[in-house]
Amino acid sequence: MKVEFTAAQDALRKELRAYFENLMTPDLKAECDEAMGEGGGPLWREALQKMGKDGWIGVGWPKELGGRGMSPIEQFIFVEEVMRAGYPFPFLTTESVGPQLAEHGNERQKREIVPKILAGECLIAIGYSEPGAGTDLASLKTTAVKDGDGWLINGQKMWTSLAHFCDYVWLACRTDPDAAKPHKGISMFMVPTSDPGWSCSPVHTLGEVRTNATFYDNIRVADDAMVGELHGGWKLVTSQLNRERLSLVNFGPTAEMFNNIVRWAQQLDLPTGGKLIDEPWVQINLAKVRAGVEALKLVCYKQAWAMTEGNLEMADASAAKVYGSEFFIEVYRLLGEVIGEASLISRRTDGANPIASRIERLYRTASIITFGGGTNEIQRDIISAAGLWMPRASR
Amino acid sequence: MDFGFSEQQRDVQNLARQILSENVSAEKLSQYDDYKAERFDRELWQKLAEAGLLGVAVSEEYGGMGFGFFELGLLVEEAGRTIAPLPLVSHLISAALPIQQFGSTAQKQQWLPGVASGELMLTAALCEAHNDDPAQPYLTTASADGDGLLLNGEKTNVPFAHIANRILLAARTNDGIAVVLLDPKAAGVSLTAQQVTSYEPQYVLHLDNVRIGAGDILAAGSDGSAAMQWIAERSTVALCAHQLGASDKAMRMSASYTAERKQFGVLISTFQAVGHRAANCFIDVECLRLNTYQAISRLDGGLDATNEVQIAKIWAGDVGHRVSYAAQHLHGGTGIDRDYPLWRYCTWLRHNEMALGSSAKTLAKLGKRIAAGEAFCS
Repeated sequence: MKVEFTAAQDALRKELRAYFENLMTPDLKAECDEAMGEGGGPLWREALQKMGKDGWIGVGWPKELGGRGMSPIEQFIFVEEVMRAGYPFPFLTTESVGPQLAEHGNERQKREIVPKILAGECLIAIGYSEPGAGTDLASLKTTAVKDGDGWLINGQKMWTSLAHFCDYVWLACRTDPDAAKPHKGISMFMVPTSDPGWSCSPVHTLGEVRTNATFYDNIRVADDAMVGELHGGWKLVTSQLNRERLSLVNFGPTAEMFNNIVRWAQQLDLPTGGKLIDEPWVQINLAKVRAGVEALKLVCYKQAWAMTEGNLEMADASAAKVYGSEFFIEVYRLLGEVIGEASLISRRTDGANPIASRIERLYRTASIITFGGGTNEIQRDIISAAGLWMPRASR
Repeated sequence: MDFGFSEQQRDVQNLARQILSENVSAEKLSQYDDYKAERFDRELWQKLAEAGLLGVAVSEEYGGMGFGFFELGLLVEEAGRTIAPLPLVSHLISAALPIQQFGSTAQKQQWLPGVASGELMLTAALCEAHNDDPAQPYLTTASADGDGLLLNGEKTNVPFAHIANRILLAARTNDGIAVVLLDPKAAGVSLTAQQVTSYEPQYVLHLDNVRIGAGDILAAGSDGSAAMQWIAERSTVALCAHQLGASDKAMRMSASYTAERKQFGVLISTFQAVGHRAANCFIDVECLRLNTYQAISRLDGGLDATNEVQIAKIWAGDVGHRVSYAAQHLHGGTGIDRDYPLWRYCTWLRHNEMALGSSAKTLAKLGKRIAAGEAFCS
């Protein structure tokens, strides 16, 4: 065991940090801020394609798939750095659906879609939840019905985030309504958002992040739009979610925010004399964040390491997701307290402190991942069953 | 970033786990309850010595295995898993390791072979009244006395002081900190027994003009401060490793209990509220595990680890506390029943939480380092 970066990994971190310092121009930063951490703008797309050209998006992918052949640890280092830089990285596409397509996709998908993902030219949204199927995802009703040499898709999905600027939806459909268990009748499809039968309407959220309701009206796709086996979609859903969970709780942005707030508090003169950072309660809040970020870093890297060994444990993936998502909420509170009432001032106010207004926004978005990506109650069920072998109630 | 154990580490872990699990039982532990007997299993001590484990981190030239601090940490973790009645932390980490690191050849020859063979007993006095920072003694002073030192003052909570051949301790001098090896039988030394929650034998150590010969001085002046910092960090992280073993075991005992206990006609593990409380422990223990391994790994590799040790201790305090009460709660009355083995774990979780600085105190220390710009996230 050696819980430290190798010299090469340290060098990679430095290289990436310098790379993103160049890449994140003030105009790109402003565009990303306007997009509320989602991306999708023209400069954002340009930057993503540059990362693709420079060989970063697939740094940890095998060479035969167009990657650089490094390990999942280097891949995680890249994602950590891109997120630290404040770039809304489309990790659902690159880190969760992409690897699924590389592993389970058919020849056409591997030939046409995977290289585009690594080039930063293809974006994919996740189509799981429906108005009546959230935590009980296997009860989904969107159907794909065999139609000659293709499939006819009908239904509605909810919370299809990013779909309004994505090329495809990674769509879970019911293909066998009579399956003995609901999760055994589900198949995965890559559905193009360019189809005339596809539409989406925005859902605006507390944190100003846009998500979508998406509609599938007699969309006809060819047989090779299916991913993996017929009725074998559930396995792909769960392993996609395991991968997604790691990306959701990347510690990079929090580490960066902590450092920025420490520097800010070191400089800030209090009207009563002294610096803000001299206050004992400020130091305690910062220390709590620091100790928590360290744990998150280790939890993340242990999983990246487990992927290199090919033994990502379900309980560990769920533990990372629960810990990270609940810790973020605590972080925004602790750091918000350090900033005080200024942490309520929106970035739209002239002269707003960007550090403070970032907390103002994050506070409003923080709850998303305690239920998104598989609600934390279900994650805790997984942990007690898979991690502690506790028999659980049948559902 | 490598989170896997080496073959050597796995061997040490397996060997320690095997010997300790076979030789420590609730029945055996019960004989030490309420200080009915001295909490020290000498037979088991000899078994560990014969297996080479007492000398796991002692260099080969002094009869040890010559492995590193990580392997030693794994041994302590296993001791925590069984709450073995052995003075491993005070003897091996707080005293023997510093002798190997800072001692003269003569001191190493005098003490290390006996450490590895289990014939000699060492301990360390790291705590003073209301001062649990081993690197900053206030109540113990040393003044020059020929080529030796004259010691005065008081230490508390000194484990196994009554059977130790030497007690490592630090005293304040005119020009820094002296680290010495005290013979508890020397003139001017007196011991007063303390009864503590874990039933570990502990003593108040009174020092009244005790003479320390030059041969028993381990480090002095500014070297002494650095040595005590070195000792404090390793002792602290050893407590974290012990806490990791103990909390992991308490958690798993609770999970097993809920998989056997029925109420309303079903296993209580099937209640989500029960499963979730156990899941919280799982997350907590994993955070403690990774922070502890990180700190040990860095110390083992000779890297600076001040922040990482403090963070591990904060987790050790918080996790020990939370797991202890979750485990008691999930067991219902059984958890606190003295005929069931859980309660002893709770006393050790408390011991490790409070020893060498609580979470609150360590958070304050880390906070000061953050304010000074010494603890940015890398």
